[in-house]
Amino acid sequence: MIPFEKFKLSNGLTVIVHEDHSTPLVAMNILYKVGARNEDPDKTGFAHLFEHLMFGGSVNIEDFDEPLQNAAGENNAFTNNDITNYYLTIPSQNLETGFWLESDRMLSLAFTEKSLEVQRSVVIEEFKQRYLNQPYGDVWLHLRPLAYKVHPYQWATIGKEISHIENAQLTDVKSFFKKWYAPNNAILSLAGDCTVQRAKDLCEKWFSSIPPAEIQHPQLPQEPEQQQKRVLDLERDVPNSRIYIAWHCCARKDPDFYATDLLTDILARGKSSRLYLQLVKQHSYFTDINAYTTGELDKSLLIIEGRLLNSTSMETAEKAILEVIESVKENLDERELQKVQHKAEATLEFNEMGIDSKALNLAYYELIGDAAECNRQADYYNRVTRAEIIATAKKIFTEKNCSVLRYHAKNN
Amino acid sequence: MINRTIAPEIRIPKEVPIQSAETITTSCGIPLHVIAAGTQDVVKIEFIFAAGNIAASQPLLALATNDLLDEGTQKHDSASLAEALDFYGAYLQSENGPDWSGVSLYSLNKFTQKTLPYLTELITTPLFPEKEIETYRNQGKQHLAVNLNKVDFLARRNFFNCLYGDEHPYGRMTELHHYNAINSRELSQYHKDKYLNGLKAVFISGKPDQETIQSIQNTIEGSGFQKGTLPEINSIFPDPGKRFIKKADALQSAIRIGRRLFNRKHPDYPAFSVLSTVLGGYFGSRLMANIREDKGYTYGIGSGIISHLHDGYFYISTEVGAAVREDAIREIYKEIGRLREEEISTEELNLVKNYLTGSFQRNIDGAFNLADRHKMVLLNELNNNYLNTYLDRLNAVMAPDIKNCASRYLQESDLSEIVVGQ
Repeated sequence: MIPFEKFKLSNGLTVIVHEDHSTPLVAMNILYKVGARNEDPDKTGFAHLFEHLMFGGSVNIEDFDEPLQNAAGENNAFTNNDITNYYLTIPSQNLETGFWLESDRMLSLAFTEKSLEVQRSVVIEEFKQRYLNQPYGDVWLHLRPLAYKVHPYQWATIGKEISHIENAQLTDVKSFFKKWYAPNNAILSLAGDCTVQRAKDLCEKWFSSIPPAEIQHPQLPQEPEQQQKRVLDLERDVPNSRIYIAWHCCARKDPDFYATDLLTDILARGKSSRLYLQLVKQHSYFTDINAYTTGELDKSLLIIEGRLLNSTSMETAEKAILEVIESVKENLDERELQKVQHKAEATLEFNEMGIDSKALNLAYYELIGDAAECNRQADYYNRVTRAEIIATAKKIFTEKNCSVLRYHAKNN
Repeated sequence: MINRTIAPEIRIPKEVPIQSAETITTSCGIPLHVIAAGTQDVVKIEFIFAAGNIAASQPLLALATNDLLDEGTQKHDSASLAEALDFYGAYLQSENGPDWSGVSLYSLNKFTQKTLPYLTELITTPLFPEKEIETYRNQGKQHLAVNLNKVDFLARRNFFNCLYGDEHPYGRMTELHHYNAINSRELSQYHKDKYLNGLKAVFISGKPDQETIQSIQNTIEGSGFQKGTLPEINSIFPDPGKRFIKKADALQSAIRIGRRLFNRKHPDYPAFSVLSTVLGGYFGSRLMANIREDKGYTYGIGSGIISHLHDGYFYISTEVGAAVREDAIREIYKEIGRLREEEISTEELNLVKNYLTGSFQRNIDGAFNLADRHKMVLLNELNNNYLNTYLDRLNAVMAPDIKNCASRYLQESDLSEIVVGQ
């Protein structure tokens, strides 16, 4: 349970405050409603590159990190397909430093050629480090375009290819900022040693003078229903083959999300899950197997990924997974449902151990509808019935709805 | 209109209150530490054993024993053990380190009385069934084979090997064939010697109720545990060296530079830890500013100082574009040289002290973090007031101390250097 108060500034900035005076710190989280899905198909990776530039100095402040570290604060950020999120934690008495820094970069950036040039290189090294120079690192660069043909979820947050990042120009950067970075496209949340009144005063002082922008969230092209099974074979110099199967499923906001999430838990959460027990332990087809949903704002994917033993053929692997999936459509006992509901409840509790995750959760639930949803999640999971999970399994797990990426180990 | 060019005033605490652990001494002399804090109705129960790599005669023995504890006991097979814990939404976490091995149970308070008996069972009567070991062999070999394709993994293990040598538990490398050698008898023996006869301490954090604390005390006292201590390995350590391991298809090269050093008990530890932070311990560090934020050679670079019970080491680590490898290494040595030759400015030193003060506050925030800090003090056998005096030691570090440390410990001839890639 996270008690909070919410208010809105006249420029449209939504603010959420959770008071917790048992800590001397405050977590400050600013979520901008822009992610890789808002990019031009020929200029992908831009939202994430832009996140890097947000640390390159703002209109009145030369450097973001130094004054924050000097005030005993620490910060970071992440970008995904839906959002760009900035967060910091700082001792309560220095919270105003956070307001000063975050409000100035919301107002405007310094936009220098040098900063752009360096961050292009840094992001290209990140691209190599995480996606190209790791065994299996390029999976998502192939799986997304296999499953999505129309929706911008077809590219990964890092971008389709390095050249898109190389080609980013300062004019693109400026127009991206103008288009998306404004108080009425952001949610600010605070958790920790800060009263609502102090939050209001600081917001008034630092954020209220930032003008709102004309924010257009254009209708994104929605992915049409998939009509037939897709298969992609890749061969790479890796020790073992892997299989990735993706089915289209509901969006995070959809009421069916909870049944879908529990379905993946029944399949592959923990060592007592069906896929793990049957395919890793009983038959040694895989060394590990996982199932999860991408849980994004638009229609998402349910993914199963298995790591094959060298003695398992790709055909056996796929067939074995599909057989276990069929079993969920046929039976699900009450204890199995209770088990995954308990697991979901525990996950929610443990996820709220720190003020930083509380601040992020409040902002995220506000994004998908209402911060108060944060405190209703356990209920939603507990209300899911066996019949709903079985119906969800029947709806999602059809042959024509699935895309299979067979990642073959060379010389095997 | 506000003037946005003027930074708000800041205040840096010179002392912070630290909640101490409540320590219960059990009848067998093994301490039970309780850190009751936080807002969530959950508990973490951690048993720590003197059973890490340093206690084991073979590579993999310590890790495999730790990993396989929950794969079947005298009462329950692997599947029913997993089902029972999953049913109550509980998580197990096993952690095998260079010195210590730990097993933690994370549980919702309302189910702790149900989940705790399983934890007791798997740390006292594990069976290590051959069938489960076979699955583990397959998993472990595959995992290692994947890691052996990663430049950062190769750099890390070669770095330890270079510092400690083939024979020392910190330096020896686990190879695929070691997985063939593990068997149920050896794991059972290791469990008996190092777990049943090697319990170091138990930590409870979160919001435990009295009944939970009592149950855990009963487990400690009623299971025949003996107190454990770690061996000290007297070894002849290799001289600093350089290794280049070619990986022809690598897009990035992994670099590790560093040396054996001392641990937290050493009088130079506070100054050296500030030095390491200045060099590569935070986002604004000199290495980050130069190699990432000025040159764009890498996604990240860092340095750190790690304490073991009887030893310690210092490292710099990064992955850089293969084409700029030599430039990056030259810049790293240049930054180390600056530490030896130039005194750090008051401004930069204060910035780093402020940053470290904030880090310290973050590290004691919340029940689990706080428990980890108390655990660190206990496992490193530091003074009881170590945490309370941390900021005093930090603030006593002066610019000449850092320069002296750099001259004393960071001559280029002291440093080992590992490069993996191109």
